[in-house]
Amino acid sequence: MPIPAMPDTVMPTAATPATTFPAATMPATTFPTAAMPTEPADDTFAKALQVLLAAHCPPAVVRAVERGDSDVPGQVLWKVLDDSGFANAMLPESLDGAGLTLAQAFPLFELCGRFLVPLPLAETLLVRAWAAARGIDPPTGCEDLDWVKAAARVMPQGPVPETQPNSQAENQPDTQAMRAAVLAAQLAGAMQRVLEMTLQFANERQQFGRPLGKFQAIQHQLAQMAEHCLAAHMAAQIGCTPMASSPAHRPGHRHDHLPDRLRAGIAKARASEAAVEVAALAHSIHGAIGFTEAFDLQLFTRRLHSWRQMAGAESYWHREIGEALLAAPHGLALDALRQVTDGA
Amino acid sequence: MLASLPKTAIPPEDEALRVPVRAFLREALQGVPAQVRAKSWMGYDAAFSRALGRQGWLGITLPIEYGGGGRSAFARYVLVEEFLNVGAPVGSHWIADRQSAPLILKYGSEAQKQFYLPPICRGESFFCIGMSEPNAGSDLASVKTRAVKTAVNGVLGWRLNGQKIWTSNAHNCHFMIALVRTSGEAADRQKGLSQVIVDLSLPGVTVRPIRDLTGDSQFCEVFFDNVALGDEALIGAEGGGWAQVTAELAYERSGPERIYSSMVLFDAWLAFIRTPAGKTPESTRLAGKLFSHLAPLRALSLAVTDKIVQGASPVVEAALVKDLGVTLEQLMPTVIADDLYSRNPKESRDAQAPRDPQADPDAQAAPMDLLQALNYVTQVAPSFSLRGGTRDILRGMIARGLGLR
Repeated sequence: MPIPAMPDTVMPTAATPATTFPAATMPATTFPTAAMPTEPADDTFAKALQVLLAAHCPPAVVRAVERGDSDVPGQVLWKVLDDSGFANAMLPESLDGAGLTLAQAFPLFELCGRFLVPLPLAETLLVRAWAAARGIDPPTGCEDLDWVKAAARVMPQGPVPETQPNSQAENQPDTQAMRAAVLAAQLAGAMQRVLEMTLQFANERQQFGRPLGKFQAIQHQLAQMAEHCLAAHMAAQIGCTPMASSPAHRPGHRHDHLPDRLRAGIAKARASEAAVEVAALAHSIHGAIGFTEAFDLQLFTRRLHSWRQMAGAESYWHREIGEALLAAPHGLALDALRQVTDGA
Repeated sequence: MLASLPKTAIPPEDEALRVPVRAFLREALQGVPAQVRAKSWMGYDAAFSRALGRQGWLGITLPIEYGGGGRSAFARYVLVEEFLNVGAPVGSHWIADRQSAPLILKYGSEAQKQFYLPPICRGESFFCIGMSEPNAGSDLASVKTRAVKTAVNGVLGWRLNGQKIWTSNAHNCHFMIALVRTSGEAADRQKGLSQVIVDLSLPGVTVRPIRDLTGDSQFCEVFFDNVALGDEALIGAEGGGWAQVTAELAYERSGPERIYSSMVLFDAWLAFIRTPAGKTPESTRLAGKLFSHLAPLRALSLAVTDKIVQGASPVVEAALVKDLGVTLEQLMPTVIADDLYSRNPKESRDAQAPRDPQADPDAQAAPMDLLQALNYVTQVAPSFSLRGGTRDILRGMIARGLGLR
């Protein structure tokens, strides 16, 4: 069974259909902005995005975008997301954004995975934040991270007064690390949903006169799924702990929107490893029904596999993490561990 | 459905403990080989425990009035993380510091707290856990050891009969907190169980060490033959033993000792593969893989500690992290052995060289201390997923937490 390429490439944004969107598809939620600072931003934003995606990104929309026989479903969804302001969430408040850091945006990335958002929403958040930090007018379309690479090549040095002397990251954005961080978060979100679907199935499906979930063999498989989900979720949080948290970084410079390559690699490696296990266990427990096109499980598990393949599968990152660990001065591995896990 | 664990950080005031502890350990453990340090909390050294007590590093979470440090669980996390990563011989005080003292603080009378806690903090009073019995292993509620109320010349007390087994370090401990039946029959299961503190020097107590497969004698069987206990031996509520044991197990399962049991080996192996003779593409990749597992585990372990600091009893979360943690602890010796014993023989270390099908791969380039640590950890590894609740028991608890059964 071929795995279709995930629609993570650039969405056509210019060709907005002439038809106007029916009012019913417009978002019910509005972007919570100015009144926010006192509240835990991530939680509030995540709840709002969850409501929005539940309404506007059901499996039917995911299927329609994947089929690709019309651009309309994707454009409708993009308009909802863009109008709601979520694509600007990482822009500073001076640019009508919410100033979310990478860590605060993590729950939004996770939701993109949970709902299999078939558009590069998470990437757009990062692109816009990166552009704004460089003093470039944030792009307004639905963006892929490759845009950042292109921009770095062709655009003149932006008038950013606060550029650091050794600001490699600022001048040559590490789009691979960005993609790894985003994909790890999406993997974690999708895995969590797969676990929930599988739990529900195990509690409802009856064989031998009782629910599957009553069998110890099934219970232990579900426990293992929960372990993988938990590990991937925490790894993905590490991946979205921005550079600003690295002790080496001086405070006062805005780097809190950019992932740290090592942390992003750890996240992608661990989440990719977990994704394979979670997908396999979910299919094992679901049996034949989970193998059908009509059942939604396949929407998730095919994406678990393709996201695993993107921006480096686990061994790609294992090699790089290993090199970093071996390059560290002789000492305790604990100190390297503390470096990547400390910092909220 | 389980709530996810948010990433958290150790508060700076607790992190500050790391520097003095590390300096102390560097001096105390100078020249101790990896194969000895690999024993970690299975290594016993009463003098070392007393030295930690003098530093104020035992009972650090206990109130100051009982000799403790009055600090948070994060302070203890930093200490224990340092102890385990260098392989300090912390076994003597381990149980008392980890779970007996918090249990006495939570359930004990004022007199019991004043009597037991200060010597624990000084590293002078060691405890063991009396849970398993010959016919009550994973099925802990079926314990048969029984304490019967007595009144001798008007003095109230208990008479204890029965047997405990697999009791780590009992032969070097002063006290055992035992789960015993104080009323009802085995069929009553969790009802009628209580915890008593047994002075192991009392007449009628026999402690017999059991040799384990590594050649150590660190766990024991303990017999009680008409042991006369005072009325004050009961800790907590009569009949409340099951709830108390469950709370105690949350402490037992949530700590960093569930992710770091193979760390001394990991560090010894890293030191080897950092050398030109040791480094191969395979070992580099393997180091990265193990590290990518360790990082989220440490963050999870801290997140569980945060729950404890906030006063919760994260039983299911602790089970999840323990099962993940011991899986990695057991993976480490397996894959490190595969790495070290799959290399080309020394004379044809060049990866391009054709293999001599008659020459067995060897690990001659690796230091003997590393290979001996590897052997020890390989042998002891099965216990990682037995102690503190077997893998299958934990997975059953997780399943319950997920809303199954």
